[in-house]
Amino acid sequence: MDTILETKNLTMRFGGLVAVNNFSLKLGKTDLVGVIGPNGAGKTTIFNMITGIYEPTEGDVLLDGKSLIGDHVALITQNGICRTFQNIRLFKDLTVLDNIRLAGHFRMKYGVLASIFRTKKFHAEEARLKEEAMELLKIFKLESKANHLAKNLPYGEQRRLEIARALATKPKVLLLDEPAAGMNPNETKELTGLIRWVRDHFQIAILLIEHDMKLVMEVCEKIYVVDHGTQIAFGNPSEIQNNPKVVEAYLGVQDEEQK
Amino acid sequence: MSQYIADLALLCGVFIILAVSLNLINGICGQFSLGHAGFWAVGAYSAAAYSVYFAPPILDSLNLLIACGIGFISAALAGVLIGVPCLRLRGDYLAIATLGFGEIIRIFIMNMDSIGGPRGFTGIPKWSNLFWVYLWVVITIVFVVNLLRGTHGRAIISIREDEIAADSMGIYTFKYKTMAFVIGAGFAGVAGALFAHDSQFLHPNGFTFMWSVIILLMIILGGLGSVTGSVIGAVILTILPELLRFFGDTVSEWRMVIYSLLLIILMLWRPGGIFGKHEISLPFFGKKEKA
Ligand SMILES: Nc1ncnc2c1ncn2[C@@H]1O[C@H](COP(=O)(O)OP(=O)(O)O)[C@@H](O)[C@H]1O
Ligand SMILES: [Mg+2]
Repeated sequence: MDTILETKNLTMRFGGLVAVNNFSLKLGKTDLVGVIGPNGAGKTTIFNMITGIYEPTEGDVLLDGKSLIGDHVALITQNGICRTFQNIRLFKDLTVLDNIRLAGHFRMKYGVLASIFRTKKFHAEEARLKEEAMELLKIFKLESKANHLAKNLPYGEQRRLEIARALATKPKVLLLDEPAAGMNPNETKELTGLIRWVRDHFQIAILLIEHDMKLVMEVCEKIYVVDHGTQIAFGNPSEIQNNPKVVEAYLGVQDEEQK
Repeated sequence: MSQYIADLALLCGVFIILAVSLNLINGICGQFSLGHAGFWAVGAYSAAAYSVYFAPPILDSLNLLIACGIGFISAALAGVLIGVPCLRLRGDYLAIATLGFGEIIRIFIMNMDSIGGPRGFTGIPKWSNLFWVYLWVVITIVFVVNLLRGTHGRAIISIREDEIAADSMGIYTFKYKTMAFVIGAGFAGVAGALFAHDSQFLHPNGFTFMWSVIILLMIILGGLGSVTGSVIGAVILTILPELLRFFGDTVSEWRMVIYSLLLIILMLWRPGGIFGKHEISLPFFGKKEKA
């Protein structure tokens, strides 16, 4: 397997609380892997460590074999890891198009003065950026809403826009944090197809956090199960489904939640 | 009377530059600065020091241009000095730090004898006029508007929208916060230079914290984030105290109370300010694009 992303013994402590404990993972170049676990298991914290928002208390994150520890969040994105957020974080008062364009910002090759004096280079670069953005919006069936404010999109489209925005940074690894949260069954079904299609079309690695078991089982090839910050199982969907530890930890909690 | 109107129009221009530049920092980038009068003072005093002590005997307009350049650069440098340590702080702390800066600048000037200290700085040549002031108004507005319609301006706006998301999209937010802050400070410095060469006299008490608040009121009144709004807000709050003067001294003394009432009414009537985040587009800014 050609590994693109690797985490080694990641540990995150918040004061006395161990949110993530010794978490190790390997992701191949075009893998579609899931991370599941009950609420508060430490899934989002893993993403925050990979993307540089938190510096891990212990452990290492390697992209293409190079450690990312201590790198700025923006640099990690520029080097090829981009994410979506559990609680959608779009630029709400900006247009759909501007949301996508901002993700292409770091590739723009003109300076501030070029933008003040509207040079040829400015126009050429802006035209390229817009074209790329519109192409991506077309793929995500959002091109007719390019000029709508992000906050005015229906919920499902906001989730879709956030995935499109992350892809606009041209990542090697895409991290999706509960993309189906708050979606109705129809939207979830559409999303399932979309995630798989994105991996096939862009040929990138996807790490998917999901609370919803069904979606993960359907779309992921390999699954990590975490509980209380610790990995309790790893395997393909059928292995995970039949793992008594998972059933106990994960489904047990769900039963409690339903009561 | 016509001289009076011309003076007032010139002052409007100075405050338009101040409001538009503060709007870049507060309204567009979302960094709450309360030190704009400080940058105004830095620009005014450094430009005045140039024209009193160093200006060669060349064309007045050329000297004024140099003075404005010096005002911009010195205020921008002050912006770097304040911005780099303070912009890492969150909202409230930044406000307190910039407020402190404004006061420190004033006390610093108070103790500099060569620029007048507590007596005030006199003998500044009268080089400003309506033409030069409004030329700078246009330069400021075109600069800010064109910046906003490019990738750097969008990056500045994204910070106001969601800083973590901006970082996560590969944008070095600290760089763009500093950029907005320094450009905003620089144009406040130009406003200072123009002001100094109009009033011909500067006093540290002319740049108190209250002025930072009034400039802030201008942009809130017009609508945080809207350049058009900043212009309108600046004009209204420059002319209003003059109108109040017609009603006699007592009314004039209640100026700040009237401002507060105005602000309360505005917040009830239009919480986003007169213009909200909208703009009036003029053709010379370039066409608004369609997607
Ligand atoms: N910044 C933080 N400070 C303190 N505790 C945190 C912080 N972030 C997460 N936690 C805690 O870490 C644990 C794991 O949280 P999280 O990673 O969000 O779980 P999940 O995404 O699996 O639902 C939770 O107990 C949460 O309260
Ligand atoms: Mg989470």
